[in-house]
Amino acid sequence: MSSESDLPILGLGRVFFSYSKDGAFIDDLSFSVGGGEFIGLLGPNGSGKSTILKLGAGILRPSSGNITLWGKNIREYRNRDRAKLISYLPQLLDISVPFSVRELVNMGLYPYDILPAMSADEALDMVGLRDRAYCRLSDLSGGERRRTFIAMTLLQGAGLLLLDEPLANLDIKYQIELIRLLGKLREERNISIVMALHDINIALQFEKVMLIKEGRLLGIGHPKKILTSDMLREAFDVEVEVSRSDSGNTYVSYENNF
Amino acid sequence: MKIKILVIVLITAAVMCLSLVLGPRTINPFAMDKTSREILFSIRAPRSIVALLMGVALGASGAVLQGMLRNPLADPYILGISSGASLSAALGIIGGASVFGSFTVPVFAFGGAVATGGLVGVMGWERGGLWPERLLLAGVGLSFLFSALLMLILSISTDEGLRRATLWIFGDLSMSEWSRVPYGLFFVMAGIALSVWRATALNALMLGDEFAHSLGFAPQRERLILFISVGLMTAASVSLGGMIGFIGLLVPHIMRFFIGSDGRLLIPASALAGGALLCMADLISRSVIAPTELPAGIVTAIIGAPYFLYLLRRKNVLGI
Repeated sequence: MSSESDLPILGLGRVFFSYSKDGAFIDDLSFSVGGGEFIGLLGPNGSGKSTILKLGAGILRPSSGNITLWGKNIREYRNRDRAKLISYLPQLLDISVPFSVRELVNMGLYPYDILPAMSADEALDMVGLRDRAYCRLSDLSGGERRRTFIAMTLLQGAGLLLLDEPLANLDIKYQIELIRLLGKLREERNISIVMALHDINIALQFEKVMLIKEGRLLGIGHPKKILTSDMLREAFDVEVEVSRSDSGNTYVSYENNF
Repeated sequence: MKIKILVIVLITAAVMCLSLVLGPRTINPFAMDKTSREILFSIRAPRSIVALLMGVALGASGAVLQGMLRNPLADPYILGISSGASLSAALGIIGGASVFGSFTVPVFAFGGAVATGGLVGVMGWERGGLWPERLLLAGVGLSFLFSALLMLILSISTDEGLRRATLWIFGDLSMSEWSRVPYGLFFVMAGIALSVWRATALNALMLGDEFAHSLGFAPQRERLILFISVGLMTAASVSLGGMIGFIGLLVPHIMRFFIGSDGRLLIPASALAGGALLCMADLISRSVIAPTELPAGIVTAIIGAPYFLYLLRRKNVLGI
């Protein structure tokens, strides 16, 4: 299975966007996501991470610039066809509705009229929740909920996942679990993933990250090139020390600021 | 799941049969004289069908509204549609209007309901779509205004008009006739068909607009379709026999205990259960102190509310 493809899955070209009349919130942003890429999206609060994901998912329309999905303008897709290619998961998922895990996972089939390529049970197996199929969403732990929604996107068959801070409110164990699961999906199914996150130490484990500030792209590439002390100071306005541990792992610390 | 639906269908059918044969005069369907036949076909059959249609409309609209407004306290009356309908109907009754013959009150009520629905829709509309919070607040605001105007009219009206208007407001099925069935059937079925057709969109909307979008639905378009379906059903129901409480609010919750939240099952199940409950309530309301009748709306609340409270204590299924 090739992990690189010439045609970008998602491409943003000179995209501008603003919520109000004064000033661009997303300011001349261009980047592309290739097949099987797993990209971490970092930046301070209010820098435009969520907005970028929503633009990529077609929820928001850019005021200028173009957004392409598999080489075709995202506006040319019918809603249902687009849903077969992209799945976007918002940061806050309202789970007060008493759906069961299985009911939710089966919602992934809504864009389709044909029989599914995968059953809900198989999808639940992949995320390790088969035995929780009949539980209600509200009875699950935060990590299990996230995995339920990931299982739904598997049934949806989307080749691109746009995830808005899926690690928020998860403890370390579930964060690692979720990242491993996403890594597995990318390897086995060549799914591309763009994920907003805050933890720089986790981002250092990625192969590719994007750093955003005030709606502009500061850099995109390998975290060793992008998440440097200088770049992080520019993005977050804090002194961050990037060090290498004895075992060769890179990590950041910022205790000097306190 | 199929068995549960079948059980609900059978219960509804059984209640319909009972409401045809029972009453102040018990009818043996296998040995009917002329009077019995007259009672059965001219009085009880249209009345039971009207009750069924009203209950179906209220149960289904409640299920749709609670999902689409993401609010477990939503019911078909919260949007102010019924207050508008009542105000308009009361104006018709007290003003002694008779332009449409025996249809005058239903036509006034339906017109009031549709006009109010449109008004709520206009006030809930912003940035190219309907927003749940705006709809709710606009509905509640209009509801208060129309209720106040209704009270004003009632307080300055004469005795006979007042009595008839009050009866109608509390839900009066005694005026049911065959002539009301066709239009009621048409609007209720149209509403049910629209909402069941968009039931998957409703499920997705319950989890948020962005989520619905990601599953391939245009949230604002879906909400508009669902709002129209609810408006049609509520207008039809109020114009058939006035305001009946409880069903639209609590029947969908009771059905969630049994068959879950999936709109494709919940809407038909709430519709049937609503119909069955109102039929039964009507049977009780015209039987217990015959020949006097109790308003059916009071009976639905007296049977339904304790049962609902019992379920609430027994199982924590509301997700709250």
